[in-house]
Amino acid sequence: MTLLEVEDAHTYYGESHILEGVSFEVEAGEVVALIGRNGVGKTTTLRTILQLTPPREGRVRYRGEDVTGRETHEIAEKGVGWIPEGRRIFSQLSVEENVRVAVPEGRNVESAVERAFETFPDLRDHRDRDAGNLSGGQQQMLALSRGLVGDNDLLLVDEPSEGLAPLIVERVAEALAAAADDTTLLLVEQNLPLALDLADRFYVLDNGQVVDEGNADETSADDERLRRYLSA
Amino acid sequence: MIEVVLAGFLGSLGEFLQPSNLASVFVDGLSKAALYVMIASGLTLIFGLMGVLNFAHGSMTMIGAYLGGLLMVLMVGQASGPGARLLAFFVALAVTFAVLAGIGGVVEVGLIRRLYDRPPVYQILLTFGLTLVLDELVRIAVLFYGMQPTSDWQAALATKPGFLDSSVDLGLVSVPGLDLFEIAFGAATVVGLWAFLTRTRYGLIIRAGSEDAEMTEALGIDVRRVFTVVFALGAGVAGAAGTLLMWDASWAASVPLAADTLLPAFVVVIIGGLGTFRGTVVAAVIVGMTDAVMTWWFQNVVEFTGLPEMTIFLILVIMLILKPQGLFGVEEVGGH
Repeated sequence: MTLLEVEDAHTYYGESHILEGVSFEVEAGEVVALIGRNGVGKTTTLRTILQLTPPREGRVRYRGEDVTGRETHEIAEKGVGWIPEGRRIFSQLSVEENVRVAVPEGRNVESAVERAFETFPDLRDHRDRDAGNLSGGQQQMLALSRGLVGDNDLLLVDEPSEGLAPLIVERVAEALAAAADDTTLLLVEQNLPLALDLADRFYVLDNGQVVDEGNADETSADDERLRRYLSA
Repeated sequence: MIEVVLAGFLGSLGEFLQPSNLASVFVDGLSKAALYVMIASGLTLIFGLMGVLNFAHGSMTMIGAYLGGLLMVLMVGQASGPGARLLAFFVALAVTFAVLAGIGGVVEVGLIRRLYDRPPVYQILLTFGLTLVLDELVRIAVLFYGMQPTSDWQAALATKPGFLDSSVDLGLVSVPGLDLFEIAFGAATVVGLWAFLTRTRYGLIIRAGSEDAEMTEALGIDVRRVFTVVFALGAGVAGAAGTLLMWDASWAASVPLAADTLLPAFVVVIIGGLGTFRGTVVAAVIVGMTDAVMTWWFQNVVEFTGLPEMTIFLILVIMLILKPQGLFGVEEVGGH
């Protein structure tokens, strides 16, 4: 089943034209990577899906329903989670409060918090600390658990390895692989080996358009075709 | 010459440091802090979440003073006993809170909501314009009923129960009953707002939204509706503050009360670090205490009663030089 469909999306920041007709699909259960150089529109694609920056032209469909122009919280309520670039955890809330606020209305908050702490035992030890005092790796775990307790069917993950030490990146990758067992992932990642390792398929973005796509298992990180789009 | 001034100063200092004087200055400071926290906390909640500096906040306090006063004058007669007057006050308080919260909600949905995506100067111009309109409307209404808009509304002041006018003996000092009432009122407001912000899910959402509204929205929360609720809450608290001030002869219901409360409210909010509730409470205590100390000195030593008001702006200037982001401020707040 096609879970997410982006069709010919044109998105602008003010007058600058960032996405120039992006089209792609994500099937339920897949892990799909969006790769490409800095500034080609990967983050904007995620913002377009969430309608944080709605497209001026084109459509976004989720579970076959046209959600273009809807409000972001409605899209989130439908089961789309966002683990944004730079984590954007609430630094002045405690670790536990960060998790609690992400649990949807009407769900059992205590059991959701418990689940998050079982997945990331590190966070349990710091549950009452201000989240701003956590290390970068812990903050990424917290951002991930915020996405996981949201009961999301699709997680939009933006640069999860950015700024983290290699050992921590490994743990983040494990957590993402575990999350992918129950959830569909759309992953933006600069770290090409990591992206190809996690993903089933990938799309390459360049200058605001999808220029290539492929099967991640059949493609290696030093593939000539990919290099061309990724080298500066 | 210098010796004479110095001796005079030391004499005054000795008098100031007498336990009874210190204690009465302390109580006076607490009651001033309670009023400052009342007039500033709505402003800080609104700025913290929406980044909107609400210039109409003082007008809402002023409307609250007139509305609370009107209800009191209607409910309280010559013969009303102190208990009935106190009961009437809490009825007036609840009605004023509800009406002002309603006005705040309408203003947010009808006017301010359209301007969130614009630079802050649009919101400042809008709320400043709103202040002019509200003040003028109240002035017209007050004149229509044959009252002086610039002088204190005595009939509302007279609805106060007698025991708030008399002094209460606390052993070391005897304190005006109204001061104690204001302290209790301010403390209850702080505790109530604090519990709301830290102990309820809605408070959690407000704190999350104050830090990052976009991220909060992406967690499935309708942040726009939260904006409306917080604007209504802030306006309601401003109205409640007005109802309290209506009984205090040094403030009282009058049209200039709008500007008279707006400026100290801004000072308290800025010193606390724009948009943090904890900072606002601490700043209100600092400003209240300084105000009380300066009031004592300028009434008992240097006879120049205009100066205490100036000192709170002096604290602001010192704060802006030493720590421009305020006591509990972070580098960037209110962004969204």
